[in-house]
Amino acid sequence: MKRDYPDYLIIGGSAAGMAAAQAIREKDTKGIITVLSEEPDMPYFRPLIPYVVTGKKKAESIGLSGNGPYTGAGIEIHTGARVDSVDTSRKSVGISGKDQLSYDKLLFATGSSPYIPPELEGTDACGVFALRKLSDARAMAQRAESTRHAVMLGGGLLNLKAAFALLELGVKVTLVIYSPEVLSQLMEPEDAGLIRNALDKAGLKIITGRSAKSIISDKSGVTGVSLDDGSEMPCQMVCIGKGVRPNINFLSGSKIAIDKGIVVDRYTTCNNPHTFAAGDVAVTFDPVTGDRIMTALWTNAVEMGRCAGYNMAGAKTAYSGTFGIMNASQVADEPFVSMGIVHTKDSAYEVHVRATRSNYRKVVFSRDGERLVGVLFIGDITGAGMYRYLIRENKQISKIKSHIVDQTLHYGHFLKG
Amino acid sequence: MHEPKEIFVNTSRCTACKTCEISCAVAHSRSGNLYGALQEKPTPKPRLYVEWVSPDVNVPILCRHCEDAPCVHACISGAISRNKESVVTTDSDKCIGCWTCVMVCPYGVIGRHLETHKSYRCDRCPDRETPACVSSCPTKALVYRTVKSFSKDVRKEAASKMIAGEGE
Repeated sequence: MKRDYPDYLIIGGSAAGMAAAQAIREKDTKGIITVLSEEPDMPYFRPLIPYVVTGKKKAESIGLSGNGPYTGAGIEIHTGARVDSVDTSRKSVGISGKDQLSYDKLLFATGSSPYIPPELEGTDACGVFALRKLSDARAMAQRAESTRHAVMLGGGLLNLKAAFALLELGVKVTLVIYSPEVLSQLMEPEDAGLIRNALDKAGLKIITGRSAKSIISDKSGVTGVSLDDGSEMPCQMVCIGKGVRPNINFLSGSKIAIDKGIVVDRYTTCNNPHTFAAGDVAVTFDPVTGDRIMTALWTNAVEMGRCAGYNMAGAKTAYSGTFGIMNASQVADEPFVSMGIVHTKDSAYEVHVRATRSNYRKVVFSRDGERLVGVLFIGDITGAGMYRYLIRENKQISKIKSHIVDQTLHYGHFLKG
Repeated sequence: MHEPKEIFVNTSRCTACKTCEISCAVAHSRSGNLYGALQEKPTPKPRLYVEWVSPDVNVPILCRHCEDAPCVHACISGAISRNKESVVTTDSDKCIGCWTCVMVCPYGVIGRHLETHKSYRCDRCPDRETPACVSSCPTKALVYRTVKSFSKDVRKEAASKMIAGEGE
C-alpha cells in the first residue's frame, strides 16, 4: 500500500535524534516522525544530569519537550525501544521483543556509551558508575547517601562535573588520572595552571600518572580501588570517565558501512541513500585539519542532527564539520573555552599567549601565520564565538591578526576588515 | 501581518558617547534609574557594546537575534528560545553558565554575569515601546524599525548620493 506521506524513523532520542526530528518537522508538516529511544525516560538534556545527582534539578524538569527550540509537537516517541537489527533492502528495523518497523527515511542517532577498560577488574560491582544516563544519575544520587569517599578514574570534563556534583553533596573526592594533568584532551598541562589551581582550591584531591588496576568490593558494593603502584584507596564509589565509544553493535549483519563509527558523506547520508547518521555515532570531519573524527558533544550532535533532518526531508544541506576539540564549560568557578588545535608543544604552529593572574588566553595560528587554527581561553572567555567563526571558515586573517594577538578583536573588525 | 521591528545601526552617526550603554544597563537594573543602578550588586551591565575601528568608525554591536541563531540550538540546557516577537531570549532560571552560547555566537555579544553564573544578551526591552538604547541615542545612530522601512531609507539615501554625485 502506498502511503501519502513519508515515514521518518529515528533511532535514538537524544541530541542528534531530537534535533533531526524538529528539523524534519520544520520542512515537512505532514510526514510521520517516529523516534525510538532505548532509555526508559522521555528525551532530556543529557548535560544536565550532574544537577540531578546533586538534587539541584529534578529529573522531570530537564526534559527536552517545551524547552529551548524543542516543541515536541507532531513527533511520536517510543521509550524503552531497543533496535537490534536493520534491514536496508526491506527498509525495516527490528525492535527487541517487538515487531519490525518499516521506514522511508532512517536516521541512526544512537549516540555513544562510556568506555569501560576491559583490563580493569571488578567494574560490575555496585557503586561503580559511568555517568551517562538519567538512570545513572538517579542511582549515583542514591549511592552518594552512603558514600564518604569517591574515586574518579579519568580527568575529563564529564568526570570533573561528576566530581563536583559529589563534592557538593559533601562526599570526599579523589581524581586518579593517568595523564600528567586534568582535561588533557582540551589543553596541555602547561596551559592548565589556572584550572588546576581552582580544582585544588575547591577541595578536589588529584593523583596524576596513576591508573587503577582493580576495584575491590564486598556485598555492600565498592570498598576500595587498587592502583598500579600497589597502593589501595578505600572508597564506596568509583566513577569511570575514560571516554566514550559509538553505539554500533545493532548494525552487525547490516550493510551499513562502519569505520569505528557510521560513515557518512557531507550530506550526512550513509552508504545507502535512505539512511542517515548524526551525532556521537557518526564519523565526521574537522574543517581545520581535514581529519575524519568523531566527537561526543551535545552541541555538535544537535548541529549534525539538524542537518540530517533537513536532508531526510529532502532539503539538501551540507554539514560543515566540527573541530575535534571544542568545548566550553566552567569548572570550580573557572570558565574556559577550548577549540581547534590547542596542543602545540614541539609543533611549528605560531602561538601567542596572554596570561594574567586570573586570565589565560592562547591563540594558535597556522605554520605560515595566515590563519587562526585554535584558541584556548581560561578565565576571560569573551567573544570566543568570533574566534570559532574565523577558525571554522578558514578565514584569511592578516588584516586583523594584530587584534587577535593583542586580544582586542571585536565584531566591528569583521565589518571594516 | 505584523512585521517585527529590529535595532539597526548607522555607524556614520555614532560618536561613541556610550549613552546607549548606560541607558541599557539602567533599563536592566532593579531600580530602573541611574543612581539606584550604581548602588546595585551585581552592577547592572549593558547588553550592547560600542567599539572603535581605526581610524574613525564607531560601531555599536549587539545581539542580531539571528534568523538561524546558533545559540538557540547550541544551548545544552534548553535556556535559549525564540519568542513570538522573534526575539531570542535567555531564560536565566534555566541557564547553567556553561558558556556554550558564548562559544558559538559569531558576534561576540553574549555577556556573562560572573557573580550569578548566568549569560545575558539584548532582550530588545520587552516592556518598552522602543528599546532603551535607541530612545536614548542623541545622534539617532540607533534606530528601531522594520527591515522593510529601514532598507527603503538606505536605498533612498544611496540614490540621493548618486544623483548628487552626477550633478557635480
